[in-house]
Amino acid sequence: MRFHIVKRDNGPFWQRCCYYVVAVIAALAVGAIILASIGVNPFDYYSKMFTMGTVGNKIAYKTFMNYLKEFVPLVLTAVALSLAFKMRFWNIGGEGQFIMGAIASAWVAFQFGAYLPMAVTLIFMCIAAMLAAGIYGLIAGVLKVKFGTNETLMTLMLNYVALYVLYFIGETKADWNFFLQADSARPVFESFASVAQFPSFSLGGKFELNVTVILTVIIGVLIFFYLKYTKQGYEIGVVGDSANTAKYAGMKVNKIVLRTVFLSAALIGLASAFKVGTSGVLSTSVTNDVGWTGIIVAWLAKLSTPMIFIVSMLICVLQHGSTVAAVSFSQVDSSFANMLQGVILFLVLVADFFVRFRIVRVKKGGND
Amino acid sequence: MAEQYAIEMRNITKTFGSVVANRGIDLAVKQGEILALLGENGSGKTTLMNMLSGIYKPDSGSIFIDGKEVSIDSPEDSKKYGIGMVHQHFKLVEVFSAADNIWMGQDKTGPILKKNRFKYVEDIARKFGFDIDPRKKVYNMAVSEKQTLEIIKVLSYGAKTIILDEPTSVLTVQEIEKLFGVLRRMKEEGHAIIIITHKLNEVMDISDRVAILRKGEYITTVNTSETNEQELTEWMVGRKIDLNIDRPIVEKTRPLLEVRDLVIRNDEGSVAIDNVNFYIRGGEILGVAGIAGCGQKELCEAIAGLRPIEKGQMIHKGDNIVGLSPKAILEKGISMSFIPEDRLGMGLAPSMSITENMLLKNYRDGKGPLVDRKRGRADAEQVIKELEVVTPSSETPVRRLSGGNVQKVLLGREIKAGPNVIVTAYPVRGLDINSSYAIYNILNKQKLAGVGVLFVGEDLDVMMALCDKIMVLCHGKVMGVVHAHKTTKEELGLMMTGVLDLSEKHEDKPAGIAKDSLFESKDGEEA
Amino acid sequence: MDKVGVITSFIHNIVLLNIPLLYGTVGEIVVEKSGSLNLGVEGTMAVGAIFGYICGCYANSMIVGILTAFIAGALFGLLFAALTVSLQANQNITGLTLTTFGLGIYFFVGNGLRASGNWPTITESLKEGFSDISIPLLSDIPIIGSGFFSHNVLVYLGIAIAIFMWWYLKHTKFGLRLRAIGENPAAADSVGINVKRSKYFHICLGCGIMGIGGYYMGLNMSGSFNSSCWINGYGWIAVALVIFANWNPSIAIIGTFVFGFFNTLRVSGSSLALAFPDFLGWLADVPTQLYQALPFIITAIVLVVTSIKNKRGRSGLPAALGLNYFREER
Repeated sequence: MRFHIVKRDNGPFWQRCCYYVVAVIAALAVGAIILASIGVNPFDYYSKMFTMGTVGNKIAYKTFMNYLKEFVPLVLTAVALSLAFKMRFWNIGGEGQFIMGAIASAWVAFQFGAYLPMAVTLIFMCIAAMLAAGIYGLIAGVLKVKFGTNETLMTLMLNYVALYVLYFIGETKADWNFFLQADSARPVFESFASVAQFPSFSLGGKFELNVTVILTVIIGVLIFFYLKYTKQGYEIGVVGDSANTAKYAGMKVNKIVLRTVFLSAALIGLASAFKVGTSGVLSTSVTNDVGWTGIIVAWLAKLSTPMIFIVSMLICVLQHGSTVAAVSFSQVDSSFANMLQGVILFLVLVADFFVRFRIVRVKKGGND
Repeated sequence: MAEQYAIEMRNITKTFGSVVANRGIDLAVKQGEILALLGENGSGKTTLMNMLSGIYKPDSGSIFIDGKEVSIDSPEDSKKYGIGMVHQHFKLVEVFSAADNIWMGQDKTGPILKKNRFKYVEDIARKFGFDIDPRKKVYNMAVSEKQTLEIIKVLSYGAKTIILDEPTSVLTVQEIEKLFGVLRRMKEEGHAIIIITHKLNEVMDISDRVAILRKGEYITTVNTSETNEQELTEWMVGRKIDLNIDRPIVEKTRPLLEVRDLVIRNDEGSVAIDNVNFYIRGGEILGVAGIAGCGQKELCEAIAGLRPIEKGQMIHKGDNIVGLSPKAILEKGISMSFIPEDRLGMGLAPSMSITENMLLKNYRDGKGPLVDRKRGRADAEQVIKELEVVTPSSETPVRRLSGGNVQKVLLGREIKAGPNVIVTAYPVRGLDINSSYAIYNILNKQKLAGVGVLFVGEDLDVMMALCDKIMVLCHGKVMGVVHAHKTTKEELGLMMTGVLDLSEKHEDKPAGIAKDSLFESKDGEEA
Repeated sequence: MDKVGVITSFIHNIVLLNIPLLYGTVGEIVVEKSGSLNLGVEGTMAVGAIFGYICGCYANSMIVGILTAFIAGALFGLLFAALTVSLQANQNITGLTLTTFGLGIYFFVGNGLRASGNWPTITESLKEGFSDISIPLLSDIPIIGSGFFSHNVLVYLGIAIAIFMWWYLKHTKFGLRLRAIGENPAAADSVGINVKRSKYFHICLGCGIMGIGGYYMGLNMSGSFNSSCWINGYGWIAVALVIFANWNPSIAIIGTFVFGFFNTLRVSGSSLALAFPDFLGWLADVPTQLYQALPFIITAIVLVVTSIKNKRGRSGLPAALGLNYFREER
């Protein structure tokens, strides 16, 4: 008996959902087996992880605030990347663009933080970050459009160039280096003045909501709206779907590619401004790998903006929850989240296959 | 019949989705004979042969080799059974030398590459009567050299049956002569040869027997010596069928689109359209007939502004449109709905909804940054209603519609834009009868409204019934423009295959140039 | 100050510290030559490192370590091949996830063992196995002798693998077929080459080689496990080095030393500056991060230059790199 693979059209929506839900459940089951094999009760662990230890915890609001600090940069980066991916431009340079944005906004924070009012400083930080990241992303875009340079490999290289620029700033004691604390003998990043930090509001109780969370939700809605209802968003969709069709409709494909790549990278810059603007300090691990995780999130969410919000929430629960759970379960390292994330994605890729293809049995010809 | 066939295919059926490419086909070839496989474009010749070469698996039917039933699951199997195919689009590794392209599929030679493989390949080539430079890289080769290499390749693997898919379409007359010499020699050596072609003179020249396919169905197999070109043409194109397609008579306008001395190159850089003249009036359908790859695609793309024009002029209502961008041409009201083989490759965005596809050409209209989706939806609803598109909703991705409905969406959008010229290529390819008639009706309505339609087609029956005039292309040259109601299928078939040239047969005026051309009144205000 | 000694140890370090790059690069070249772009080098090396080290320690055997590392890497390759070759998944996404997944396993296993107190310390016989073996005569050449020709067995193995893979790709029929698949899978398929089988085999082989490179890094760290991964970005440099080496394993050896030269300057630049203040004193002023970034900057330039020239036949870039092959594609 032989099998034969045949392409098929997408099945109904609920059927596809079923495949993906099954994939996620199967991944959790794989995780459970791993946990059980090292002597941890998977139900206890999962309940701790998925609740992030907030149940019966007096400082649950703090957990939640920390959770949001991780959520904001990730979701914004994933949304930004989805713009480029929609156009089939493989921007895997999220890390580098994020770093460039972070450096630029820190520069503004240090240079103008002392003179300007808070709102102006913060807006300047955002603009600087968006410009720096956007231009950095545009390098790969221009090369792709002009010479056909492979954007996957190019953005990958630029990630590391940016990373070492950040290391250079973070590890070099010098008079010019205002990024570091002047009075410390060892290189330590200086904290931002309080006017260069995004404020939080108390929502009654002790829970404080940072403005960046609100802004992120607004931006998410705007991007959703942009992709769905604007002429430019429409162009992105057509170029990504079929570049030939776009040319046929009279679109200037190269211009659209460059514009979108800039926008994608600039939004990643904004994510980095939010990140450094809430933590109030630069760090060599400022990205927290959102450039990589964002790619996975965008892909898992099938590039749909609302889905990116949902997937980001879940991935952050995984990541944050596993750190919290690691405190109670010492034998389970927080890297369990990365493993689980990998298994989930692999199984979703398998589910993808069953959505796209059908396996049919082939009757063996001949008399045997 | 107790005759032993090298290869026999019985009752082969192959479908792609809802399209039947082959239906119940029988085919047999003997050792030491050349079988020509004749048929129009889309008649299923290549699909049938790809089932012998292991690219496709038949849905049903059986294949016998030397009288034994076999199952060909992969090209590996095919090679094992001594079948070699020279594909129309060569399957060569560009950066390899000639020798390595052959060597990579050799099973019997040792695992280590030695310098003597060049000598070995050269010797093999010489044995089969070819002279090649085994060290030459494929990307430095001319087309005929690549073909020679492909033939040596399959021969060197010990192929007993050789399939050639339209081998002559890329060759010059001298090269064709040489190729035929080779084929005859191989036949004498006992090879079975299947040659796919649609050139009748070549069939008569080279083959022993001819098998004919039409629209995916098997028609007959005859001995070449007992037939003639007329008879073959009739089998290939079929008897004239009365299709009952309306051809309303409409008052014609002055020429809307005129083309003079047009020369266009294809992607490979060779001339695809060679000094072509024609014109379209409002209220008429001009058919373009020709074997596939005779420049139809390039012509359509050039009119839409997607392909640069080497030489020549195009005027629309007296205004020059050469060198205008696709957008500017759209604004002139030349609407082109061009559907290449890959139906969704151009003209539609397959994963977007009907509504979104409606907006493709007019999304820029209106002020502000927003796309007027309401209008798109209204257009979509209207097209769905008027053209009876079968779809769950106007928000369904176009990719999920059936072929006929995709076509209606595309045409519907073009018509909504209110064009005065429509260029449409193969609009009914792969559609069932009812969908096809729906498309003809749409085109006729446009004609009644005074629109000029350029209809690139492949089914001669349809073109003779639907079009007012038919222009026949052969290798980028116009073989003549005939009145559809006066011509015969045989005449068209002979023109398509280059046997008959009517382009000089105009008594009173040069071919393809309108009496009331607007070229002269270029500076005049109105036509 | 022993000036000669400084130079010798500088040369020695170039080789010692950077041979894992060679493993990663040669492995990735084998994978990419089959037309698959695997961005999971970092993760693959990490699993090779952790499992190779642990099993090597428990079995107290270098050979077991090498084999385990190879198998762990090859299993990652199998995962990649199953997803991209059989299930037609996107190669970029699969590769990136392989890195996340691999690093996840690395820390999960490593931290898990440390937390439970079962982390194996490096055994004497492994230390022994990783110690330098001098090649007679060659290692006696002054200055460069012991720098180039006195190394541990994995260095020699790595170079042997690179040379072997160069020969394999260039001079064997299997290599020829592999290159054909990476260039034009349909053409390879049409002459009866089993495309799937060859892809599976070479992806696993390449990933296995990466795994050994990871193992090397674990041994070079003497098995001391801390918060930064042993692989420390070498997997990504390997991806860059593949481009620099123009997909040629023998150029990869040179590339390893070029990249390694800068990498080693980062570590030993200051001692060179101290030993030769007149000529090399300026080395002390060069920021070490520049050395770290240079491999990526050079590769980016190589990438742009090759795409501008884009001359066929010159570039080793497999034409079908990153594209999945589906025979019945119409």
